[in-house]
Amino acid sequence: MTKKGYTIIGETIIINRELTELDLFLKDFLEILKKYSDYLVVSGFVSISTGRTRGTEDIDVLSLIEKENFRLFFEELDNKGFWCYQGDNSEEAYSYIKRFDSIRFARKNEMFPNIEFIPINKNRKAKYYEFTHPQKIKIKNFEFKIPPIEFEILYKEIILTAKKDIEDARHLRTFFSEILSKEKFKDCEKIIREDFYEKA
Amino acid sequence: MRKPKTDLDYIEIYAEKLKKDNRLFEQHRIFIESQLKASLSLFHNMFSESDFKKEARKYLKERLLIK
Repeated sequence: MTKKGYTIIGETIIINRELTELDLFLKDFLEILKKYSDYLVVSGFVSISTGRTRGTEDIDVLSLIEKENFRLFFEELDNKGFWCYQGDNSEEAYSYIKRFDSIRFARKNEMFPNIEFIPINKNRKAKYYEFTHPQKIKIKNFEFKIPPIEFEILYKEIILTAKKDIEDARHLRTFFSEILSKEKFKDCEKIIREDFYEKA
Repeated sequence: MRKPKTDLDYIEIYAEKLKKDNRLFEQHRIFIESQLKASLSLFHNMFSESDFKKEARKYLKERLLIK
């Protein structure tokens, strides 16, 4: 039976499709991460999970994680079949996190897909804004958090600007045209531009 | 409707269709999974299982993908 691509239930966007291997990889990772830190799935996977048909090999996940929780998180990932590109122990990997450098995790004996694990803090204004204003999205039994769609579109159009980002933004603008809010666009654009000019 | 010319025009048409008909997600799933399988098999063949991490890190360092 034909269904719409998505429906809205309460505050959650339900994508009406089956789970892919890529979704299941992220689901396994988030089930561990959620025990130790809040998170936000951002960038390419937001577009891909909502129907943009393009290749990807990594999924970007923002996190605000404390050192002790990171140690426990790292150990559980290791026990559950993940490896970290940057190091085999949590101390080594945490040296990247404390400098706010990303690290990557994949399943053992595999390179792709991988998670780009991006540490943030309150000083990263735009990233902290999206992190604290999540949108819930659900595919079958897998619920996770993404930025407000308006934020994701503008971030791709204003900051990232590569061909694939402009295409992702167009996909999101079209697919979600009925639910996008002019007010939210205004708020998000202000945050993104302020953050951009502060860094410049 | 104007004739599509650019990649962005096609992306828009596909997103419009997908919005109305979720059966298109089946094509999407096939594409995503075939790309994943291709990447998986490429790197399985490149590195030995016994020394996977060491060889993978060497490969990543040579391409400046890790420090």
